Amino acid sequence: MSFLTLTHLEKSFGANRVVKDFNLSVEKGEFISLLGPSGCGKTTVLRMVAGFETPTAGGITIDGRDVTSLKANSRNIGMMFQAYALFPNMTVADNVAFGLRVKGVPRAERDARVAEMLALIGLSEMGGRFPFQLSGGQQQRVALARALAPRPSVLLLDEPLSALDAKVRVSLRNQIRQIQQDLGITTIFVTHDQEEAMSISDRIVVMNGGVADQVGAPFEIYNRPRTKFVANFVGTLNTFEVRVTDPATGRVALAGQDLTLPDAPLSARTGETLTVALRPEALRLGRLADAEALLPAKVTDVHFMGSVIRLRADVAGTDVSLDTFNRPDTPPPTVGSMIEVSLSGRDFIQLRA
Amino acid sequence: MTRFFAWGTFLLGCLFFALPLIGMTEFSLKMRRGEYSFDAYRRVFEDQRFWDTFSYSLILAAATIVVGVLLVVPTAYWVRLKLPQARPVIEFITLLPLVIPAIVIVFGYIRLYNTSSFLPLTGSALGTDILLTMGYTTLALPYMYRSVDTGLRTIDVATLTEAAQSLGAGWITILSRIILPNVMVAVLSGAFLTLAIVLGEFTMAALLNRPAFGPFMQLLGANRAYEPPALAVIAFAITWGCMGLMQLVTRFSKHERAKA
Ligand SMILES: Nc1ncnc2c1ncn2[C@@H]1O[C@H](COP(=O)(O)OP(=O)(O)OP(=O)(O)O)[C@@H](O)[C@H]1O
Ligand SMILES: [Mg+2]
Repeated sequence: MSFLTLTHLEKSFGANRVVKDFNLSVEKGEFISLLGPSGCGKTTVLRMVAGFETPTAGGITIDGRDVTSLKANSRNIGMMFQAYALFPNMTVADNVAFGLRVKGVPRAERDARVAEMLALIGLSEMGGRFPFQLSGGQQQRVALARALAPRPSVLLLDEPLSALDAKVRVSLRNQIRQIQQDLGITTIFVTHDQEEAMSISDRIVVMNGGVADQVGAPFEIYNRPRTKFVANFVGTLNTFEVRVTDPATGRVALAGQDLTLPDAPLSARTGETLTVALRPEALRLGRLADAEALLPAKVTDVHFMGSVIRLRADVAGTDVSLDTFNRPDTPPPTVGSMIEVSLSGRDFIQLRA
Repeated sequence: MTRFFAWGTFLLGCLFFALPLIGMTEFSLKMRRGEYSFDAYRRVFEDQRFWDTFSYSLILAAATIVVGVLLVVPTAYWVRLKLPQARPVIEFITLLPLVIPAIVIVFGYIRLYNTSSFLPLTGSALGTDILLTMGYTTLALPYMYRSVDTGLRTIDVATLTEAAQSLGAGWITILSRIILPNVMVAVLSGAFLTLAIVLGEFTMAALLNRPAFGPFMQLLGANRAYEPPALAVIAFAITWGCMGLMQLVTRFSKHERAKA
C-alpha cells in the first residue's frame, strides 16, 4: 500500500461539486505536483489532506492510517502557504521552533533542531530577525524550515512560489526539491505553472474541473498527454487535420505526404479526417534524413528567445509553432521567407476529448 | 485661501477645547489668595478618600480589562474565522451599550441580582464588585470590540490559524501564542479606553453604592470650591497619560512596524 492514498475523494460546497472522484497514491519520498487552471480544485484537495476541509465522501490514509476524520493539528503534516504565513510576533528562530514547542520537545533538542533547519535553508545568521526584516524569498524559506522542523510525515505546498519574482522562484524551487530529496519527505506541491511542475516533480497530476485528468511522470504527461485538456494545458500544441488511409496500421495523409501514426489501430475509418497534434519541437527546420515527410512552409512570425527560436509558419494551410535551437553562425529565417519543415508520424499525439 | 480657512477653523476648534481647560486649571491654582499655588492639589492628595477610591477604581478597571479581553478576543477571532456573515450582528450587539443608558443597565442588575433573587450578588461587597465589573465590561464593550476587531484586520487570521494548526497547535495555543500577541497593541488601546471609562464612571458605582473614583469626584464637586477643578485636571492628566501610553506602545512594538 502506498504511503499516502486518496480514494474516491469528493468535496462539495453547497451544490457546487469542486472535487469529483479524486484518486491518487503517493509513494514514500515522492514529489507530486497538482497542476491545473485556477479554480480546478487543487487547493481543495490539498486542504483535505491537511485536514482543513472535510471530504464530502472518500478517504485519506497516511502511512496506513485512516486520517479522514482526524483533526488538522494531529495529522503531523507540514504546510507552506502562498502568503508565507509566518507568525509576525515571533523571530525567525521562534517561528521555526513553534511546532517543536507545541510538541513539547525539550529545550536543548529544540535549539539544535532549529539551528539545523536554519542551516538547511541557509539562513543561520537570521534566527534573531523578525519576519518583516526578511525578503519574500527568505520568508518563504523560513516557512519551509518551520514546516519541516517537527519532521512531518507529509509536506504540502500551496503555490509557495507565486508571490516571488522570477529569479527567486526558480532558485527556491530547486532548493525545495533539493531539500525534499535530501530528507526523503513525501510532498504534494500545488501550482498552475506547468514549467515549475515539470522541472521538479516525480509525477504530475493534471487536474481539470475537480477530476484528475492524467497522472504521470513529466515526460509522459508532456509527450503522451491522454486528453485534449492535458495536451493544451501542458506546453504548446499544433493541431492538424489528417485523412485516414489505413486505420489498422495507422497510416494517414497530410498534404499529400504519407505518415504513420503511433497507437494503431486508429479509431477513425478509412477516408475520415482525424485531428492530431504535434509539439513545436517535433516540427524541425530543414531537410532531415530520418524524417518521414517534408513540407514547405511560409514564415509568418519570428520570436528570438535566446537559446530557442520559436517560429510561426503556415504549413499546409495550418498555422503552426515550431522551435529550433539558436546557432551563432546561422541567423533565423525572416518573416515571409519560405522554409522546409521535417516531421514524422511517430511524433504525433492522438487526443481523446 | 482654503488653507487659510482650514487653519482658521482648526485654531477656533483648539480655542473651543483649550479655553475651558485653561480657565479650569488657572482657577484650580488660585486657592491661596493673590498668588498661584498647588494648595488645592495638595489637599486632594492629602485626602485619604482620594487614594482609597482611586485604587478601588484602578483594581476594578484591571478586572474589567481582563474580563473584557477574555470575552472579546476569542469572540472577535471566532467571528472573523468562522462566522464572517455574523459580523454585522455582533457589531450591532456591541454597540448597544452606547444606546442603553447605564442607569437602565444598573436597575436591571439590581432587579435581577438583589438579595432575594436566585443569585444575590448585591448581598455582599465582593458580589457587588463582580456585578460592577460586569457592568463596566458592558460599558467598555463597544470600544474593546472595535479596537480588537481592527487589530485582527491587520493580520491574516485564517492563514495564521491554519499554519499553527498544521504545526500541531490547539485553540488555546493559537489564541494565546499567535492571536493575542499580534493584536496586543489593539488590546492595549482598548484597555486604556476601558481604564478611562472606569475611572470616570459615576452612575453604576453610585447606584451600587461602591466607593469608586467617580462618586468621589461628584462628592468633592458638591462640597468644595478649588479641589474639584484640581481633581478634574488630575483626571484629565490620567486620561491623557493613557492616550500617550497608547501611542508609545504602538510606536515601540517591534513587529507592529512591519504592518504600518
Ligand atoms: N470555502 C469555500 N466555499 C465555497 N466554495 C469554495 C470554497 N473553497 C473553494 N471553493 C470553490 O471551489 C473551487 C475550487 O477552488 P480551489 O481553491 O480548490 O481552486 P484552485 O485549483 O486551488 O485554484 P487557484 O489556482 O485559483 O488557487 C472554486 O470554484 C472555488 O470557488
Ligand atoms: Mg489554490
